[in-house]
Amino acid sequence: MIGGLFIYNHKGEVLISRVYRDDIGRNAVDAFRVNVIHARQQVRSPVTNIARTSFFHVKRSNIWLAAVTKQNVNAAMVFEFLYKMCDVMAAYFGKISEENIKNNFVLIYELLDEILDFGYPQNSETGALKTFITQQGIKSQHQTKEEQSQITSQVTGQIGWRREGIKYRRNELFLDVLESVNLLMSPQAPGQVLSAHVSGRVVMKSYLSGMPECKFGMNDKIVIEKQGKGTADETSKSGKQSIAIDDCTFHQCVRLSKFDSERSISFIPPDGEFELMRYRTTKDIILPFRVIPLVREVGRTKLEVKVVIKSNFKPSLLAQKIEVRIPTPLNTSGVQVICMKGKAKYKASENAIVWKIKRMAGMKESQISAEIELLPTNDKKKWARPPISMNFEVPFAPSGLKVRYLKVFEPKLNYSDHDVIKWVRYIGRSGIYETRC
Amino acid sequence: MPYLGSEDVVKELKKALCNPHIQADRLRYRNVIQRVIRHMTQGLDMSGVFMEMVKASATVDIVQKKLVYLYMCTYAPLKPDLALLAINTLCKDCSDPNPMVRGLALRSMCSLRMPGVQEYIQQPILNGLRDKASYVRRVAVLGCAKMHNLHGDAEVDGALVNELYSLLRDQDPIVVVNCLRSLEEILKQEGGVVINKPIAHHLLNRMSKLDQWGQAEVLNFLLRYQPRSEEELFDILNLLDSFLKSSSPGVVMGATKLFLILAKKFPHVQTDVLVRVKGPLLAACSSESRELCFVALCHVRQILHSLPGHFSSHYKKFFCSYSEPHYIKLQKVEVLCELVNDENVQQVLEELRGYCTDVSADFSQAAIFAIGGIARTYTDQCVQILTELLGLRQEHITTVVVQTFRDLVWLCPQCTEAVCQALPGCEENIQDSEGKQALIWLLGVHGERIPNAPYVLEDFVDNVKSETFPAVKMELLTALLRLFLSRPAECQDMLGRLLHYCIEEEKDMAVRDRGLFYYRLLLVGIDEVRRILCSPKSDPSLGLLEDPAERPVNSWASDFNTLVPVYGKARWATISKYQGAKRHGPELSNTTSFATSGSLIPEENKERIQELPDSGSLMLIPNLQLTAEYFEKTWLSLKVAHQHVLPWQGTVHPDTLQMALQVVNIQTIAMSRAGAQPWKAYLSAQDDTGCLFLTELLVEPENSEIQISVKQTEARMETLNSFISVLETVIGTIGDIKS
Repeated sequence: MIGGLFIYNHKGEVLISRVYRDDIGRNAVDAFRVNVIHARQQVRSPVTNIARTSFFHVKRSNIWLAAVTKQNVNAAMVFEFLYKMCDVMAAYFGKISEENIKNNFVLIYELLDEILDFGYPQNSETGALKTFITQQGIKSQHQTKEEQSQITSQVTGQIGWRREGIKYRRNELFLDVLESVNLLMSPQAPGQVLSAHVSGRVVMKSYLSGMPECKFGMNDKIVIEKQGKGTADETSKSGKQSIAIDDCTFHQCVRLSKFDSERSISFIPPDGEFELMRYRTTKDIILPFRVIPLVREVGRTKLEVKVVIKSNFKPSLLAQKIEVRIPTPLNTSGVQVICMKGKAKYKASENAIVWKIKRMAGMKESQISAEIELLPTNDKKKWARPPISMNFEVPFAPSGLKVRYLKVFEPKLNYSDHDVIKWVRYIGRSGIYETRC
Repeated sequence: MPYLGSEDVVKELKKALCNPHIQADRLRYRNVIQRVIRHMTQGLDMSGVFMEMVKASATVDIVQKKLVYLYMCTYAPLKPDLALLAINTLCKDCSDPNPMVRGLALRSMCSLRMPGVQEYIQQPILNGLRDKASYVRRVAVLGCAKMHNLHGDAEVDGALVNELYSLLRDQDPIVVVNCLRSLEEILKQEGGVVINKPIAHHLLNRMSKLDQWGQAEVLNFLLRYQPRSEEELFDILNLLDSFLKSSSPGVVMGATKLFLILAKKFPHVQTDVLVRVKGPLLAACSSESRELCFVALCHVRQILHSLPGHFSSHYKKFFCSYSEPHYIKLQKVEVLCELVNDENVQQVLEELRGYCTDVSADFSQAAIFAIGGIARTYTDQCVQILTELLGLRQEHITTVVVQTFRDLVWLCPQCTEAVCQALPGCEENIQDSEGKQALIWLLGVHGERIPNAPYVLEDFVDNVKSETFPAVKMELLTALLRLFLSRPAECQDMLGRLLHYCIEEEKDMAVRDRGLFYYRLLLVGIDEVRRILCSPKSDPSLGLLEDPAERPVNSWASDFNTLVPVYGKARWATISKYQGAKRHGPELSNTTSFATSGSLIPEENKERIQELPDSGSLMLIPNLQLTAEYFEKTWLSLKVAHQHVLPWQGTVHPDTLQMALQVVNIQTIAMSRAGAQPWKAYLSAQDDTGCLFLTELLVEPENSEIQISVKQTEARMETLNSFISVLETVIGTIGDIKS
């Protein structure tokens, strides 16, 4: 159970403070500020114990959110709750920033009132919460009978995540496959992948009437092999494109029993946006970019760096927001950069050369070379050569995941699967994408 | 600036709240109330406007109501008489047609922490429990717990408890979970809510309908249910199987804990469960949510204590990435240190070596300590890496390496030679107290093998005036005296100077007293000094042998998914011990039970220390060189002084045994290969008086025991007995590890 919840800005000023249990006093607010936010050294642990009170904190941009308790709680659960809290707030007012929190502080107090009671998590689904939180509170007097009955049905309904009687003129759904690809590459000439994994999410935005039953299909290896047993020909064709998922987890609405037995994903979706599934793959990952570094030390005061990046996907696709970050030693005095494409700049404050390319097509190659001049130092400390990191966004899923279908059935209302307008989008982003040099 | 003129602010707000023009304009009125709440958040005392705020509660505007109720809940304890005025409005709201208003009013009313409110809230709560809207029921159920808390130690209302138990069958999942929570708080003194068979089965059937918070909570409550039969147990496990793969890591951990506890008599089921959650745990360890990742890593470490090989094949997952936060890197290094085995040791050490030169001094030191930890099993490779690190001549690295060496020499005496060769030259790169102490200690204890040891110490003696750390001076005194015993000619002069300085000029009393103490000791005579400074030390090596012994899963299963793995057991023990002492039992039955289990640990350790053989009366000399021929001759010429058998099972691992014996200074002369039948070994040792102990170990395949025969060159019963007890301990320990 959570004794209190505090939100601070980067200076340690309290923006929100809500205490749920008697054992948490006002001094807890200050204790966290003094011991964690204003502490000189870097954060030692996300769980801090001050005077036998545990503080769990997460940081979003420069906002600190801290949950406080004196009990022996489940750490994972508390953090999950804080994440959920962030998601809910983000769903209401977008980015979690100091300005947004100050502007919406009434709303946040309302939310905190509903999500937690006496320190116990209550309903936390954004969709369901929207019926309780009335941002334009003045309306509530004239609240229609219909809305009131909605609340009652919502709160008594068997399906906690969807209310009944939703109607849309246009039945529409959006599927986003969002992946982040992580790579750690060794420096040796052929470049060996030390570790690589993709963590992905399938986010669905549904605007569907009634209580639709949905079925989602993707190129999961196990399913495809199962189906392909009949026609061997098809297996060889589609087998290449199927992917092995290491582990995956689903939103509460997915019937897990059905997934376990037939590996089919069927569910009644919540209204609006939600995360349908989360998965991780480690095999056959398409690495969108290869980074080939070459660092040569010329004497004690000069360093020559050449970095080649190769895009490794279909030429018709375009990668965006490419940024390569080449670290430089602390005693750098000057840098000369030549790059074929994009813009490169030495940022002394970050100790790095930042090379930005707006767009780059597949199967292309680009290179940057830099001469780094160093100040002679008597510091015997060798430069540790931090890895070269990279950021990008590509319009495909690096894991190879493909959405095969998403069927909608609503037997009670008269619209069929064909009437639903469906949109699918793939976005692959870089997670921690590093090449050692 | 709210902190400066807080009185003015209160005055101004009071005026605004009373202004009829503002009261007439809803938006302006609400804005003023918002300002009050904002100041309250910042920690300003806003209790001065309580009266005006109570008036503001009589409104139709729900948002305004919520704000005012929040205000009242904060300040009601300060102004109980005024708060009573608000009760009327609240009671009226409790019968509002809108369920949301009813819920809100009831929740706020229960949260007013002031004496005398109970009589007003009792009836609304009872009504709330039977409300047709589940939203109100949820609030009312928790309201019962709040009411009980207000009462303090008041008696438990039986009727209310029964009502709550019956509400466990409510349609709404959140009401069910809230009932459990509420009952738990109300019945804390009686040991919490009772989970009997019907309730347990009911909860199990409702599990899939609950949200993640509910699931985690119910899993926690199910921990106290004892299935009647094995069949029922496995039925439950089957039912809960899907929760091991839940999307919420908290639920996964909760389910894991439940499995581990329920299956505490079935080790294979426990192992199986830990294998099944490997995937989800690894996923959490590489997730983007850093805090969760941290928690998962803490639990991975916990599992590794019992199943060292569990994550060995996934060691690459625990390689650190440059941009990860500090706390994750440190955890990963610890994990790497624990999952190391014969196959991956090369790669892991390679990776750790990379971390040693990290820009963050903290992280690089953690990596070096990790290598030191691995060195207890893979000594040669690690000592080589550590020696190479000395070559970098960097202060923060050198100091940690030397500290690691000190610990290593103590635990694995076989690497003393290599360490002594690596030491010369590193004194130039050590500036801090810890590092200096370690270096001086090494020079003192093993000075006879380091040619330039006296000269290094001489530098320290010459600069002792400018030395800032008293601990270093203490260490210097002891080390120099030790070295003086083995190399008197080179040390006599500077020892004199050092003692003179410490006694005449030193301002730190502890150092001065130590100096005086050694001076007087020297006056007694050199033999006495030798006896005191170089007499046998307590031997930690047997503790080392016990250390890697796997801890059974059951020893930590009850701590899984709590704060214990996050803080570490020792730290949690101190945290919860104090809590237990300060607050008496009833309030925190949960934590106190942890407190007792936590405080047991140090005692356990104490016992362990006492169990160590008291080698005081017997000191075996290290590095005894005995040829096989000489051994054979002596063996044949002597009679068996002692013979007995110990229980033993399975085959013998000669390497393990040899290593173990070596650390207690018993040398192996000859040994059969592993698996040979019958298996034999010949051992020799010599104590400081020159008495030789020759031993034969014999394992016959058919009877599961090991026969020990000892021969002695000088017949003395007491040394013989202590020798045998040392031998027995070693063999017993090895046997334990195997089984």
